[in-house]
Amino acid sequence: MIRSAKGLLGALTLAAAVVLAGCSKEPEQVLYLYNWSEYMPQEVLDDFQAETGIRVAYTTYDSNEAMYARLRLLDDSNAYDLAVPSTYYVNKMRNEGLLQPIDKSKLTHFANLDPHLLGQNFDPENRFSVPYLWGSTGMAVNGAAVSTEGVTGWADLWDPQYKGRVLLTNDVREVFHIGLRVLGYSGNSTNEQEIAAAYEKLRELMPSVRAFNSDAPRMPYLEGEADIGLIWNGEAVMAQEELPELVYVYPEEGAVIWVDNFVIPKNARNVEAAHKFIDYVLQPEVAARISEEIGYATPNLPARELLPPEVRENRTSYPADEDLVNAEFQSDVGEALLVYERYWELLKAGH
Amino acid sequence: MSRWLLRGYLALIYLLLYLPILVLVVFAFNDNRSAYSWGGFSWRWFEALFNNRNLMDAALNSLLLAASTATLTMIIGTLTAVALQRYRFRGKAALQGMLFVVMMSPEIVMAISLLALFILLGMQLGFVSLLLAHITFCLPFVVITVYAQLSGFGNRLMEAARDLGASEWQTLRTVLLPMIWPALLAGWLLGFTLSLDDVVVSTFMTGPGFDVLPLRIYSMVRIGLSPEVNALGALLLLLSLVSLMLSHLILTRKRS
Amino acid sequence: MLTRLFKPLFDLKAPFRSGVLWLIWGWLILLVLLPNLLVIGVSFLERDPQDFIRFSVSLDNYQRLFDPLYLGVFSRSLYMAVMATVLCLAIGYPFAWGVSRVAPRWRPLLMFLLIVPFWTNSLVRTYAIKVLLAGNGLINSFLIDIGLISQPLQLLYTEGAVIIGLIYVLLPFMILPLYSVFEQLREDLLAASADLGASRWRTFRHVVIPMTMPGVIAGCLLVLLPAMGMFYIADVLGGSRVLLVGNVIKSQFLDARDWPFGAAASVMLTVAMALLLLAYWQSVRRVRQQVAL
Repeated sequence: MIRSAKGLLGALTLAAAVVLAGCSKEPEQVLYLYNWSEYMPQEVLDDFQAETGIRVAYTTYDSNEAMYARLRLLDDSNAYDLAVPSTYYVNKMRNEGLLQPIDKSKLTHFANLDPHLLGQNFDPENRFSVPYLWGSTGMAVNGAAVSTEGVTGWADLWDPQYKGRVLLTNDVREVFHIGLRVLGYSGNSTNEQEIAAAYEKLRELMPSVRAFNSDAPRMPYLEGEADIGLIWNGEAVMAQEELPELVYVYPEEGAVIWVDNFVIPKNARNVEAAHKFIDYVLQPEVAARISEEIGYATPNLPARELLPPEVRENRTSYPADEDLVNAEFQSDVGEALLVYERYWELLKAGH
Repeated sequence: MSRWLLRGYLALIYLLLYLPILVLVVFAFNDNRSAYSWGGFSWRWFEALFNNRNLMDAALNSLLLAASTATLTMIIGTLTAVALQRYRFRGKAALQGMLFVVMMSPEIVMAISLLALFILLGMQLGFVSLLLAHITFCLPFVVITVYAQLSGFGNRLMEAARDLGASEWQTLRTVLLPMIWPALLAGWLLGFTLSLDDVVVSTFMTGPGFDVLPLRIYSMVRIGLSPEVNALGALLLLLSLVSLMLSHLILTRKRS
Repeated sequence: MLTRLFKPLFDLKAPFRSGVLWLIWGWLILLVLLPNLLVIGVSFLERDPQDFIRFSVSLDNYQRLFDPLYLGVFSRSLYMAVMATVLCLAIGYPFAWGVSRVAPRWRPLLMFLLIVPFWTNSLVRTYAIKVLLAGNGLINSFLIDIGLISQPLQLLYTEGAVIIGLIYVLLPFMILPLYSVFEQLREDLLAASADLGASRWRTFRHVVIPMTMPGVIAGCLLVLLPAMGMFYIADVLGGSRVLLVGNVIKSQFLDARDWPFGAAASVMLTVAMALLLLAYWQSVRRVRQQVAL
């Protein structure tokens, strides 16, 4: 009796499994969006689904490298429909034939975009990318824990008073940007000697570094683990809601400026939905809401008009010109990226 | 004297073991967003959890995967244990060796080896790749569980059935399985839990089409903000409590 | 010899049996033996920036591993795993002893209480530890409130935090084998030892320890072997500053795309594990000899 009951149970389980597996392949449309963590308000995705009936399956990454490695892994079979790489990775992926062209005729709101952010050298005609958000990587100083007086530039990170309290983002280009700028070189240097020199300088900083965090760089400040360090401007804005004393500083040696862009991988399955989503985000109301909620700057001109004054004039989100003196736009370094990555490995492996 | 010292020590260890979990559960009801200050009692994070469509889908996927893994591993594992115990064939040591290797090697070693294999074979990374990987790493545990119970039974009943003309399959089905089904159930539960909890293998085997719960939890934990994680933890604790009690009841009922 | 190996597979008189053997051998060879051979093979190849691997043989990867920097990562990882093991033993041994001394009807309940946290998702439990250890976390807040310290202690993102995380997740693996040997500890031997006039300490040293040694060794292995690969604990509690070998392997495969180097690191890890297992076998044999005497 037990035996047959068990047999029945086993059969039921298998049957249920098969049925469930079949059920999950609903005729519902799904868009597979692969984006940075903390980079898209959930409400936008929900509203998109309400409006178009397309469900957004949302997965996140914390670095361009991780995104690129994952996309490379999925090259031949399944793939994401949308990804959001930074400037130099758009170039890299474009050159390697990993992207498919974006049909701008399907993007009715494309004209909303700021022409200054279009036609950049990583994608001269924006054939493969559409800007999503732009921002800067600068310094965060927790005014509640340390003094913000006299903190003006990257060089201050090496100050011994911050030993063990410095946070860095887990990003090879941004960390090396600091090392290069402090020595007077360009953050987009392709010169191996300069990169090596930056590596040596950064090695001196390592004892001060508490953690590397690109999942949500504001967290270590909020957790009381770091007092000063790198942060993305949007993260700083979000942090200030809970920790108003956190100050965002545009370093005098020059912040990093970057643009994150929608791209459609070559093997995307739901290209229609991808275009619909991009177009949805290009609407001024949606773009304004995104910028307001997560603190980064939208490249959408009408959206900026819609922003409340305290957001539009927040220099952390929307820098003034004097903030951007010496700031450098993060551009492609081509083959030199391998050199950076090699030194980055060594930097992180060291103690 | 030493008896109370020992008991005090046990109590201390249990306290330390449960403290993080209790904190987790308590803050799941925190109205405040921050994990570091209390803002009043609230169910909102549980609500948010159930409204989180991506999370619920991932949970369903994981349950499906775990159930499939447990069932298939139970079948394959039982057959393996039976073969090891009853059949005579060469290379038994090699077989046992391979099972031992799987059980003892760090999961990450297995994960990358299977990733390399699947990429080489051009296999799609998703449900099937995860299932194969999960079955492989759960197998040794199930084999050991069933084997341990098998060793307790003499072969006489089986031989008697054979003499009466039953085929191998019939013998297994009618004589052996009813005797060892507690071990099968234990093996099933073990496989289910191991699959549901797996982070290491899932990190490598996953693809966009099939999202699993441990990876969702992983990214929630790494970002570390929302008490939704706490609410999820509380629910998982409840789930493990209930499933353990159920299995305990079933197993003790069998004994009586 | 090979024909004798394959004969049972083709035994038509026992189709069920041969079917089962096909299944088992096929599974293990395809999904265990073959992939591991692949990894060993890949570790001798070179990296290709586009396609992960280039088919040219080289020993570069192993050379890089022996660079002091990576040896440093390896040895620190080993240190954390060993510390976690030692502390698990220090905590678990008296614990198992204690539970075995309790009245038999309470023991299942106690073991049940031990296993419940274990069956809860380990990531969530690791997160709970993070909340406790953070600068603004409960431990620091408590210590500051009672005036013991004025500045928060730096507990998180340290090797200590990772060790604590490892202990927390792996402790039941130490306790379960220990408990099982303590359960089987023969009361009559302990009584005999006392009757012969041995002090409690001597009984402990010469009877209890040797008899529980198999459990100790099993427990140590079950903690030590997985510990070096548990990258998620280092991710959550180590802030990407504290790395386990598992983190290096993972980042090689999923970030840096240097599969050959990652494969080499994985092979090194496996070799280290194999050496430890060898040591286990030797000591088990020696213990068996001693106990038999």
